[in-house]
Amino acid sequence: MINIKNIGIVGGSLTLLLLVTIVSLLWGQYPIDFNTFMGYIEFKCFGGVGNDTYTLLDNIILQIRLPRVLLAILIGAALAVSGAAFQAMFVNPLVSPGILGVLAGASFGAALGMLISEQWYIVQILAFVFGFVAVGVAVLIGGMVTNSRSTVMLVLGGVISSSLFTALLSVIKYVADPYSTLPAIVYWLMGSLTMADLHSVLLVSIPILFSIFGMIALSKYFDLLSLGDEEAKALGVNVPMVRFAAIILATLASSLSVVMAGMIGWVGLIIPHIIRMAVGPAHRLLIPLSAIVGAIFLLLADSVSRLALSVEIPIGILTSLIGIPVFIIVLKNARAAWN
Amino acid sequence: MELNPIITVNDLHFSYPKRNVLEGIDFSLNRGEVVSLLGPNGCGKSTLIRLILKLIRPKKGEIWLENKTLYRYSHREIAKHIAYIPQYHNVPFNYSVLEMVMMGRVSKSSFFATPSANDRASAFASLERIGIADLADRAFGQLSGGQKQMVLLARALTQEVNTFIMDEPVSGLDYGNQIRLLKLIADLAAQGYTFLKTTHYPDHALMVSSRVVVMNNGKIIADGKPHEVITSPMIREVYGINADLITYNANTWCIPTFSKGVL
Repeated sequence: MINIKNIGIVGGSLTLLLLVTIVSLLWGQYPIDFNTFMGYIEFKCFGGVGNDTYTLLDNIILQIRLPRVLLAILIGAALAVSGAAFQAMFVNPLVSPGILGVLAGASFGAALGMLISEQWYIVQILAFVFGFVAVGVAVLIGGMVTNSRSTVMLVLGGVISSSLFTALLSVIKYVADPYSTLPAIVYWLMGSLTMADLHSVLLVSIPILFSIFGMIALSKYFDLLSLGDEEAKALGVNVPMVRFAAIILATLASSLSVVMAGMIGWVGLIIPHIIRMAVGPAHRLLIPLSAIVGAIFLLLADSVSRLALSVEIPIGILTSLIGIPVFIIVLKNARAAWN
Repeated sequence: MELNPIITVNDLHFSYPKRNVLEGIDFSLNRGEVVSLLGPNGCGKSTLIRLILKLIRPKKGEIWLENKTLYRYSHREIAKHIAYIPQYHNVPFNYSVLEMVMMGRVSKSSFFATPSANDRASAFASLERIGIADLADRAFGQLSGGQKQMVLLARALTQEVNTFIMDEPVSGLDYGNQIRLLKLIADLAAQGYTFLKTTHYPDHALMVSSRVVVMNNGKIIADGKPHEVITSPMIREVYGINADLITYNANTWCIPTFSKGVL
């Protein structure tokens, strides 16, 4: 439905994302003022007389800040949309890529990949495979005690799945070379957007964007699935297909975020709740808006992690520090939003 | 009157691992009928409905929808023939009434299409037909049971089908809402809709049915006109209680009789 209000909301948040993106490109240890930036953009777009400043800006903006900013946007969007999709698929307000064990599973898969192979695509594939296995374990354990849809049991299943893969990850750390592989794994897991280079960011953006747009395309069915499988089927939804596709896409997006930037928790849990409180539960708005706001959130968090202290705070730690108090506030209101 | 079957069920069997639920059901639902399925808890009424909606598969037997076997239809195609109205329930997300009703349109739009102005208009029209258009912007979760049940009926109307299947539509509603809902069913039936509904109340079956089917222990034990099927011996056999059938103002009522003991 062409709904003016919805277009306004999405357009407004996209504009905000653009503003935050520009600010993130300007902020940093070497601040760039807006006029210089506009001159630089004009130079890049229309050509003109270059100078030393522009060469420096090429370095700072294109090589250092742009990949990082793009990656923050991609990962923030991927995690928030995956969280919203998982919450819809399992009809459970307490699940997210982190809680279902996807992040732990993908971390284990990626670490295993780093251990056994130099190939980047092996790391990605293993991250996805074990991310998917982790959801499977969570769902199996969650459904083992009761066949009914139990909110708490699924969360418990996720906790167990997470612990399992965290333990397996420790095994990898234990056997990893303490001088090269181990520090790499540890720093990467804390969550960092620093390792991004433009080429790998653009490469990973293809599957991540595919997942995000796939979930947006499926979003109207998410509403129906929340009524329960039988009712959704009776209304004409191919429930197994939608659920399988959504879980695959959400797992793919969140696993790739782990490969690119380590474990970044809480985004997938809190952003969908905040959006649901703001605009209601209809997924055709909730899903795209989660993507945009997730991107804004992670961009801001990354800016803080770069600038707050003289040393950079790993972004995974920062999102947890922000996420936990926000979630406590949200949880109180979320009860109302979830009836 | 020539029978025009919408749903035909032949020799249907269904069982759970440890329990036979349906043992040879033959049944048909014909166009224009209002059929009440009567029977005690666990007799297989809900199972039969779930089988007809292809939510579960039978162990043995056939189900036909119009002139094809049910298993040739996708859920989407079934939803274009039959609207299912479940018992009212809670929904985890706090959808508005209008959003809830518009979910009935999903089988009518293409896979990736977002809801159109047409879908919205249809949803409004359905709410108006039920007389609850004023609820459109309310949160579904905050409605009373009766209102929720009406909303689910409105959602079925937006599917633009002629056949409705209802699972114990009045359960949990207060007395006034029970009667209001039955009146709505009667009105819609008069407009040509076909109904198959399960019920626990012989009175309701007597009030609003063109045919009553009684099930017990996985079998159909009676099938016919309401006042012919609902009799004291049937009530005693199926429910194990004594009841008298009393006719008053051309309507028949089923009155349990404590004085004769409840068996």
